[in-house]
Amino acid sequence: MREVLERHNVHISGHGPRTMVFAHGFGCDQNMWRWVAPAFDERFRVVLFDHIGAGRSDLSAFDRERHASLDGYADDVIAICRALDVEHGVFVGHSVSAMIGVLAARRAPELFDDMVLIGPSPRYIDDPQAGYAGGFSAGQIEELLEFLDNNHMGWSQSMAPLIMGNADRPQLAEELTNSFCRTDPEIARHFARTTFLSDNRDDLEGLAARVLVLQCAHDVIAPESVGHFVHARLPNSRLVLMQATGHCPNLSAPDETVAAIDAFV
Amino acid sequence: MPSSESVADRKDPLLDEDELLDLFEHAPCGYLAAAPDGRITRVNQTLLEWLGTTPEHVVGSRFLDLLTIAGKIYYETHFAPLLRMQGRFDEVALDLRRPDGRVVPVLVNARERHAADGHVGFIRITVFNASERRRYERELLDARRQSDAAAAELRELTRTLESRVEAEVAHRMEAEAALRQAQKMDAIGQLTGGVAHDFNNLLTVVLGGLETIGRQLDHLPGEAALARAQRALTMARHGAERCATLTARLLAFARRQPLRPKPVDAGRLVTGLADLLQRTLGETVALETVTGSGLWPALADPGELENALLNLAVNARDAMPRGGQLTIETSNACLDEDYVAAIAEPLAAGHYVLIAVSDTGQGMDEDALRQAFEPFFTTKDVGKGTGLGLSQVYGFVRQSGGHVRIYSELGRGTTVKLYLPRHLGTLASPPEVTSTERAAGVGGSETILVVEDHDDLRAYSTGLLRDLGYRVLAATDATTGLRLLEREPDVALLFTDVILPGGVDGRHLAGEAQHRQPGLKVLFTTGYAPNAVLRDGRLDPGMDLISKPFTGQALSNRVRSALDR
Repeated sequence: MREVLERHNVHISGHGPRTMVFAHGFGCDQNMWRWVAPAFDERFRVVLFDHIGAGRSDLSAFDRERHASLDGYADDVIAICRALDVEHGVFVGHSVSAMIGVLAARRAPELFDDMVLIGPSPRYIDDPQAGYAGGFSAGQIEELLEFLDNNHMGWSQSMAPLIMGNADRPQLAEELTNSFCRTDPEIARHFARTTFLSDNRDDLEGLAARVLVLQCAHDVIAPESVGHFVHARLPNSRLVLMQATGHCPNLSAPDETVAAIDAFV
Repeated sequence: MPSSESVADRKDPLLDEDELLDLFEHAPCGYLAAAPDGRITRVNQTLLEWLGTTPEHVVGSRFLDLLTIAGKIYYETHFAPLLRMQGRFDEVALDLRRPDGRVVPVLVNARERHAADGHVGFIRITVFNASERRRYERELLDARRQSDAAAAELRELTRTLESRVEAEVAHRMEAEAALRQAQKMDAIGQLTGGVAHDFNNLLTVVLGGLETIGRQLDHLPGEAALARAQRALTMARHGAERCATLTARLLAFARRQPLRPKPVDAGRLVTGLADLLQRTLGETVALETVTGSGLWPALADPGELENALLNLAVNARDAMPRGGQLTIETSNACLDEDYVAAIAEPLAAGHYVLIAVSDTGQGMDEDALRQAFEPFFTTKDVGKGTGLGLSQVYGFVRQSGGHVRIYSELGRGTTVKLYLPRHLGTLASPPEVTSTERAAGVGGSETILVVEDHDDLRAYSTGLLRDLGYRVLAATDATTGLRLLEREPDVALLFTDVILPGGVDGRHLAGEAQHRQPGLKVLFTTGYAPNAVLRDGRLDPGMDLISKPFTGQALSNRVRSALDR
């Protein structure tokens, strides 16, 4: 049990009869909840963690095959929650972690009664045949993945944690400028592929938990049409269109985000 | 300078507003100012030039809008959060998309600038052109990829070194073994060929002597003694004849028998041989012959081919003591380059006529298979086989420019496949009746020059020809022969051994003699016919040859027919 918690750099704070689990999205780590999570410390046991490959997670736990689909990440969430005896809890997932939470809840329905999905997207690539607008053409996602493959040094240099994998100089990670959200570049590349090629539209159907969908304005990652799609597919859901713009209201508009979650739970 | 100082306090008289504006607009880096929500409020000329656009297209849009699709995603997922959390980010590698579609690689720094109340006033974004740098990085990456690939290849080579060496060594050893086997076969061939040749000379003398004795006995009285002598004579003759058969097989193996290759219909030859084969096989072995339609003619000596098939039939019979089946199948075959490359002996790729002889006998193990073609190797009991059957087959087929392959499985049977070269052309009319055993005892009065270095044999031949009424001159070598010819213009026939001492062989002698005396008939004799002397071991058309050992009867016939040709 302790291994799971260490592996994911789990941090627990707050008190309350129910547990609120925060899951960060692609590109960041649990730091991104710094202005949101503390607001719930008084009423909930608050759990923060890093996905494998992000933050201070155990990089050696990364499994190229298991983590090649979002199910692998969902299994990680389930393992963390079971280790902490979470039942009837609240799940708050940002970006790709919104769908990871949905997959976890389908496999282990006892974990969460309420779910907050911030900028969720069950599929990023448009599906014209099904009349689905995911926000990206297949060609654009291909361009993204190609960029990652071909320009690895360029983008990994732009990422602080380039040095993170360097066992000889671990202190460097601390000193680097772009060091707030750490991700291992190799794993992030893999995670990007897994994320942007995923299609979990069918997994929305018949989800038992109550769901709050938080949709920002001008979100290039998850456009508004996707928010409506998710809301329409989830039988027991509420959609809130936020004032905040961009993809990370938890950082750009933490007050509005806290208020929306608070009103829901 | 103290931080409390404001720009106004340290007003530099040399630095006017125009100059500052010029620095801003044409600084060596791009400059953007954006509102907290990301909307661009100001852009300098340098960046506009890089982007190939005008301020109207940039001001009012978001920094995000300038990026490629990958940049947009990364900016939103990584760098926007970073900027919010730490108030800045540095040297982020991004690509800007120009309105004309081209891409400008850049490094981007961003700072949140705070107003007096602590809120974000604006975001200052500086952009460095990284085209050159990105090119170096790409080259560096390519170099690293190549070196990684080379290292991986080297690792793989090292890892598999042992097995590759093993495989190579095994391959070489196989090749060497095949070569050794071929060399051994060749050496044995040389040896047996030489022995058989000498043996033939002697046998000719023995048989000639026996023939003479026989003729003399006919004129002697005394019933009982005569009968005993004649029985002994018959036995001796049989013995000598069997010796001759043996040497013929040895020569066949050594590929030094004179062959008379003709276009052969292998299917018809097999069918014609069926009776004889069935008698050889006995009642317990069923014979089946299968002839493919459209069979090509083969180019081979039909007599030797029959011998080869008989030898195979005898082997098959002995391999099936409790009976079984022998199948002889003829078909067309094509040996490709791959097949030809895999065998030790030189063989041309192309069309062949295949005669496959299969029995249902006991088969051979690998050891036996390896040695099967060697002369005197036999799987039969001592005294049952000469060990020369398969070697005759091998020698004959090789000399004919073909190929033999044995497939055998213990307990299942053996198949011997003879590949004979295809004859490109039409089948000639049925082969002429060989003149060897044509009408007997015809002599004549012409002059014959006998050139033979073997003393006993020369004496025998000249004696015999004289008995037949011919005028006979004799020489031991070519030079003497030519001298005699000059003296004696009446010589009608040159009867010469192919191999002669003194540097000039029978063929050259014949050529020279015919040159000096056009119309001169030539009859060769030889214990073998080495390739060097007779073209490819085959006789030129129009030449005549009598193989040693020969009987008096045979010689008188061949001499007569050569003279009458």
